[in-house]
Amino acid sequence: MKRRPELCGLLLAAAVAAAPARAEDANDPLEPVNRVVYGLNELADVMLLGPVAQAYGELPSPLRTGVRNVLDNLRTPVTFVNDLLQGETERAGTTLARFMINSSIGLFGLFDLATGLGHPQHTEDFGQTLAVWGVGEGPFLVLPLLGPSNLRDAGGLAVDRLALDPWSELASSEVGLARNGAEAIDTRQRLDPVIQDVRRNSLDPYATVRSAYRQRRAAEIRNGRPPAGESSYEKIFEESDDGDSETGD
Amino acid sequence: MATARRATDAPLPLRRRLLAASIVVLATPWPGILRPAQASEPAQAIQFIDRLGKQVLDVLRDERLERSDRLERLTGLLDQATDLALVARLVLGRYWRDASEPQRREYTTLFRSLVLKTMADRLESYGGETYEVLGGQPVDDRDTIVSTRIKRPGDASAIAVDWRVREQGGRLLIIDIVAEGVSMVVTQRSEAAEIAGRAGLDGLLDEMRRRLSRTA
Repeated sequence: MKRRPELCGLLLAAAVAAAPARAEDANDPLEPVNRVVYGLNELADVMLLGPVAQAYGELPSPLRTGVRNVLDNLRTPVTFVNDLLQGETERAGTTLARFMINSSIGLFGLFDLATGLGHPQHTEDFGQTLAVWGVGEGPFLVLPLLGPSNLRDAGGLAVDRLALDPWSELASSEVGLARNGAEAIDTRQRLDPVIQDVRRNSLDPYATVRSAYRQRRAAEIRNGRPPAGESSYEKIFEESDDGDSETGD
Repeated sequence: MATARRATDAPLPLRRRLLAASIVVLATPWPGILRPAQASEPAQAIQFIDRLGKQVLDVLRDERLERSDRLERLTGLLDQATDLALVARLVLGRYWRDASEPQRREYTTLFRSLVLKTMADRLESYGGETYEVLGGQPVDDRDTIVSTRIKRPGDASAIAVDWRVREQGGRLLIIDIVAEGVSMVVTQRSEAAEIAGRAGLDGLLDEMRRRLSRTA
C-alpha cells in the first residue's frame, strides 16, 4: 500500500517536468502512438460500442435515466473523498447529502431526488484533485478503450479505481464488470451527438478531441467556471481590429 | 502606441509628452469616453443573446418552413449576429499573419462555407431544446460573456453554453461559443494549427476544400 503512492508521485513528478512551456502547445510528444490507439478505439467504437450504445438509446428514456442515476450514485463516494481532498467542504456536504437521500428514499440510487431538494450533482476525481494541488497535466495520452487522457488524469483514474472507490473489491466480479459495461454504454450513448458531429464536421477529429479534452478537464477543474479571464484564452482575443497587429508569440 | 515606441529614444520634453498624451486621448473612439460603461454593461449583451435565441427557436419551431427556407433564415441570423470574419482570423492564429491576401480571402470564404455546412448538418438534430439566459459578465472594455443553459426535453441535466459578445462600432457580435468549457475558437484553432503545421496553409486550404466537397 505504501509503494503505490510513491510510484505515482514519481510518475507525476515526471509529468510536471514534462509540462508545457506554452499553454497552447499541443503537448503531445506521443502523437504517432496516440493516433494509432485513437484509430483502434474508433474501430472498436464503430464495430462494437457504437452499435450497442445505439441500441441502448432505443430503450425508454425513464429506464436510461434510472440506470444513469444508479451509476452516478455509485460514483458519489469517490467524488466525496476528492471534494474533501480539494478542501471543498461545502461541495463535500452536497455530495454526502446526495448519497444519503438517493441511496435511501431514492431506492438505491434509482431516483435522483437530491437534485430537486437543492443538492445538484457534480463529480470530482483524483486527476482533478492533483490539478488543484498544482500538478500539471503532463503529455496527452490516448488510452486503449478508455479514450483521451493525460499522464496526470490516467494516474488519477488508477487511484480513484484502486484506492478511493469503495466498490473496488468488486471490480473483477460480475457486478463490477456489469457496472463498467453499463458506464461505458451509457456514457457513449449520451456523447453520441457530439461524437457524430466531430466525425462529420471536424477537419482533424484527433486534434479536435485532444483540444476538447484538455479544455473540458480545465473547466471541470475550475468547477465549471467559463474560461474567460484565463490568460491563454484571453490572449487569443487580444489582437486589435486591423488584423495585422496580432501580438507575437 | 506612438508614445511607447518613442520611450526608447531620448526622453521627450514634458510639453511634447502632454501633447502626445492628449492626441492619444483625442484619438480614442468617442463612444468609449462618452459612454464608458457601455461595453461593460452586460444588460445589452444579455438582451442581444436572448433576442437571438428567440429568433432561432422561432425558425426551428416553425413547421410550415421548408428546410431550405429554414436554412436561409438561420444563415441570415448567423450573418447578422456573428463576426465570422474575425472568428475565421482568430482560428487561423499566427498563420493569418503570414498568409497572402488571396490566401486570406480564400480561407475566409472556405471558413464561412464550412460553418454553413456544419449548421445545415446540425439542423437535423434539433429535438425541442430550449434555453435560459443566466446572466452576463464583462471581460474587458469590449467583450462580455453571456451565460446560458440549453435544456433538452425530458432531461434534467442542462448544457452550459457561454457566448462571448464583442461590441464593435456600436454593434454587438458573437465572437466565440463555449459549450461546457469547450471553446469553438480554441478547438478549431488547435485543429487549424495541427493541419497547417503539418501541411502548411495551402494544405489546410486543400483539406477545407476536400471537406466541403464531401457530401457525407
